[in-house]
Amino acid sequence: MTDSQSHDASPQPGTVDMITTSLLKNTLYNPLRLAGGLLIFLLVYVAVTNIASGNYTLEAFVRQSITGLAQGGIYALIALGYTLVYGILLMINFAHGEVFMAGAYVGFFAINAMEQSGMLADHTFLALLITLMVGVVASVTIALLLERIAYRPLRGAPRLVPLITAIGASITLQQLFLRLFGPDPRVYPRVNLYILPGIFKDLECAEVSGAQVCKGLDLIDGLYRVDVLGMNLRIRPVFFLVAFFAIVLMIALWFFVQRTKTGKAMRAVAEDKNAAALMGINVDRVIATTFVLGAALAGAGAVLFALYNQQVTPFMGFVPGIKAFTAAVLGGIGNIPGAMLGGFFLGIVESTGPALLGISSQLKDVIAFGLLVLILIFRPTGIFGEVLAEKKA
Amino acid sequence: MTLLEIRDIHTYYGKIHALKGISVTVDEGEIVTLIGGNGAGKTTTLNTISGITPAAEGQVILNGEDITSTRPHEIVMRGVVQSPEGRKVFTRLTVTENLEMGAFARSDVAGIKRDMDYVFDRFPRLLERRTQLGGTLSGGEQQMLAIGRALMGKPRILLLDEPSMGLAPMLVKQIFEVITYLNTENHTTILLVEQNARMALSIANRAYVLQSGAITHADSAEALQHDESIIEAYLGGH
Amino acid sequence: MLRKIVLVMGVFAIAALGLSLVSAQDTMGSSVMVPPDGEIVIGVAAALSGEGLAPLGEDIVRGAQLANITRPTVKIGDVEFAVTLDPQDDTCAAEGGQAVANRYVSDERVVAVVGPMCSSACRAAGPIFDAAGYTSISPSCTAPDLTDGTFASFNRVVPTDAFQGVVDAEFVFNTLGLTRIATIHDGSPYGEGLVTVMAEAFIELGGEVVFQDAVNVGDTDFRALLDRVADADPELVFFVGFIAEGSRLASQRFDAGLDEVAFMGADGIFSPDFISTAGDAAEGVYVSSPTPSSEIYDAFVAAYVEEFGVEEPSGPYHANAADAYNVILNAIEAVGTVDDNGDLVIDRAALNEAIRATSDYEGLIGTITCEENGECASAAITIYQVVDGAFVLASETMQGE
Repeated sequence: MTDSQSHDASPQPGTVDMITTSLLKNTLYNPLRLAGGLLIFLLVYVAVTNIASGNYTLEAFVRQSITGLAQGGIYALIALGYTLVYGILLMINFAHGEVFMAGAYVGFFAINAMEQSGMLADHTFLALLITLMVGVVASVTIALLLERIAYRPLRGAPRLVPLITAIGASITLQQLFLRLFGPDPRVYPRVNLYILPGIFKDLECAEVSGAQVCKGLDLIDGLYRVDVLGMNLRIRPVFFLVAFFAIVLMIALWFFVQRTKTGKAMRAVAEDKNAAALMGINVDRVIATTFVLGAALAGAGAVLFALYNQQVTPFMGFVPGIKAFTAAVLGGIGNIPGAMLGGFFLGIVESTGPALLGISSQLKDVIAFGLLVLILIFRPTGIFGEVLAEKKA
Repeated sequence: MTLLEIRDIHTYYGKIHALKGISVTVDEGEIVTLIGGNGAGKTTTLNTISGITPAAEGQVILNGEDITSTRPHEIVMRGVVQSPEGRKVFTRLTVTENLEMGAFARSDVAGIKRDMDYVFDRFPRLLERRTQLGGTLSGGEQQMLAIGRALMGKPRILLLDEPSMGLAPMLVKQIFEVITYLNTENHTTILLVEQNARMALSIANRAYVLQSGAITHADSAEALQHDESIIEAYLGGH
Repeated sequence: MLRKIVLVMGVFAIAALGLSLVSAQDTMGSSVMVPPDGEIVIGVAAALSGEGLAPLGEDIVRGAQLANITRPTVKIGDVEFAVTLDPQDDTCAAEGGQAVANRYVSDERVVAVVGPMCSSACRAAGPIFDAAGYTSISPSCTAPDLTDGTFASFNRVVPTDAFQGVVDAEFVFNTLGLTRIATIHDGSPYGEGLVTVMAEAFIELGGEVVFQDAVNVGDTDFRALLDRVADADPELVFFVGFIAEGSRLASQRFDAGLDEVAFMGADGIFSPDFISTAGDAAEGVYVSSPTPSSEIYDAFVAAYVEEFGVEEPSGPYHANAADAYNVILNAIEAVGTVDDNGDLVIDRAALNEAIRATSDYEGLIGTITCEENGECASAAITIYQVVDGAFVLASETMQGE
């Protein structure tokens, strides 16, 4: 993105050796990097041994990657909110996981009411759209309240203060929902959304009064056995829907930030709030817009998440929130495509890692956070982190 | 006719009493300059006018209207545009985007286009580098961009903070030519803060001398240029 | 300064030691005296506060209360003495168990204690009851080592974790006729303990454990884990943990292609909440639980529902609490004597011995016969299956020896 980085991206021939040598030197003489390097070597060794011995097959990798893709898409949608807010305020909005939770929770009441009234069955697509909108509106409302009540009054304070406030807000929201709606999980109804009967001619077929009727692909609740390249896969279209949503929304967000007037103002505010105000930019409004965008993505992600995981509880946002934050840091916090790629990367590593290394699934969090530490050892600004960010801080 | 008036303002940075009762008037069409040493309160005066560091006491009056506690972006919308000290070009926005930000408060697309053409016309260097990021420009180019960006706000009154700082003499001359041009051709009222007092006084109608947050002299630029004490203190003797 | 503190602490320590010796001597072989118009006080120690714990503790107290309503007096010869309960909060923790035990031993009127509720609390209360010569019967402390002879005062009317695991293994191997299982637990001592016992018993029977792993509490996506389970090709997945993780595993197992594989859990998911959360995915799931199944038990639950105005018991241990109460009263009737003044005299040591001598008592949880070590859980493990959204019997109740 910047000139200062371009030499990294395209090293001239001949300098490659130099870079390799200096990297090697750097690694050998830095104990932390040496330890990190050895650990990576060990992990690769274990993984390769596992694959070579036939304990881990390509088929398993593909299957696990597909579920990882969905989980990663959810992480990505949440991570974008973290990265947006951090990019502008240099603040980690730890209550963002609860913004996610609020979307799923309030969305439940909408979809539940529509299930009761029969609308979900009769006008499935419309009902899902309404649920999505309700979820988005709920998340946005919570985020705006957070910004106004908890963060704006502290804008001039040292950076640690809003961080602590964010953690407090996170706990407050969890407890608020717990007191309001109780600890019992709410369960989303299972939704069948049939699409493209013309293309998927032989799916979801049933005898209806003597005739064979096929409804097409069930986008939400469908589960299909597919043989690809000799691999026996089980495909849930909703996983791809989640990933697709994450990618499309990320690109939309990127265009918004790069091309629109408000997006440019966001970047201006990110760089210098006073200078931006002197341009006539309403800094408060731009910051609120940032929270709105992040919350909208989280709310949409939350409803999607609940559509295929069903259960919604006041604590459901906490772990995904932490993971998404990790994803944002992995990708280089403040960087929009980085957050998305970090989310997918984390989702896939989490789901394939334990089996690939032949260790307990309980250790998947260890893999996730271990990876974070490793990447930060070698690239302190994250995979796609901008070097400029350091100058500013 | 008085366009901008500040009446007896006091401004604090935390506990530091930065401005101790400053009063300045700027008439429509004038170039007024504030001169003074480091820490005299020149930048604070401009930031108080712009609403970045609002006055604790006193008033800022624009065209008869009190804007003392108006928020910064609203002050810009009323035509008071500041080009801040140290240029404050947005380093991660392109030259064009920087100019667009200058016109943020405007919505007259045709007017914005015309003004951008005008800026590129005045500063052909910026046209050449319009897709580059602000951070990649040289100091002189950044200053051109900062002034161009301020012009994009279509100011009634332009607050310029140290436009010559850190520039080579050739560039300083060029910048001051532009300032004069803006004033004479565009009829933009200008409040100029400068350490290069000689240069500032040469183009200004009137001047105020600040010292430790208070005004020590106020007179026509012509008179101050010949004031012995000013020459001694700010114009580097003879 | 430091020396002063050490000195003061030393003095306190010596004083405490002396006191405990004195009190131990004082109460060793002591007895309780209840005047003719007095009441026999039975302590009930259970968690009465705390998120997710209070319902279980409340269930225990209610069980004891209902037993007390049904059998409010003790008859020695022709003389009747009223029994009253003294419920206290053990917080389901070591500190709480200690506090509660100290409170009871300082009140000489307390004859015996139903409780504490959690193994941690039982472990902390044990030495204090021992020193005071008290006796107790826990309705719910399941840690196997509590009955290894360390505590003279500890008895329980609940099967140890070891028992449930063996019953589960036998059910899967013998009744279902399955030989390949995968086990998953939630990392809690309960989950890990029960899974370990079950797996060992299953292997001993000749079965094979093809996959073992654990989940993190709070995680939401277990599909990758279930995919590994599917690769190991088991005939049954055995999970020990609680409702949230259990229902997610049950739901997501279909995404991993485990449609044909049976799913089994334990008492941690034996709750209507599991069925409502997992929905259709709960169908066919097996669940083992110490909750008994018998006509007298059903009648007891009906009385419970009526007495406390609830839809169903809030926890699984109400019957155990009622049985603990009745075993204590039986023992009092066996060893209590009325002296010349008409006072009821109960020798504490004799009372504990009488409890441990309990034999063939028909309790709610089954036939109760106590062993020397205080293990009275001739109780039963019953295995249920979810059919049409409700738990129905999947096996005869298995009786322990």
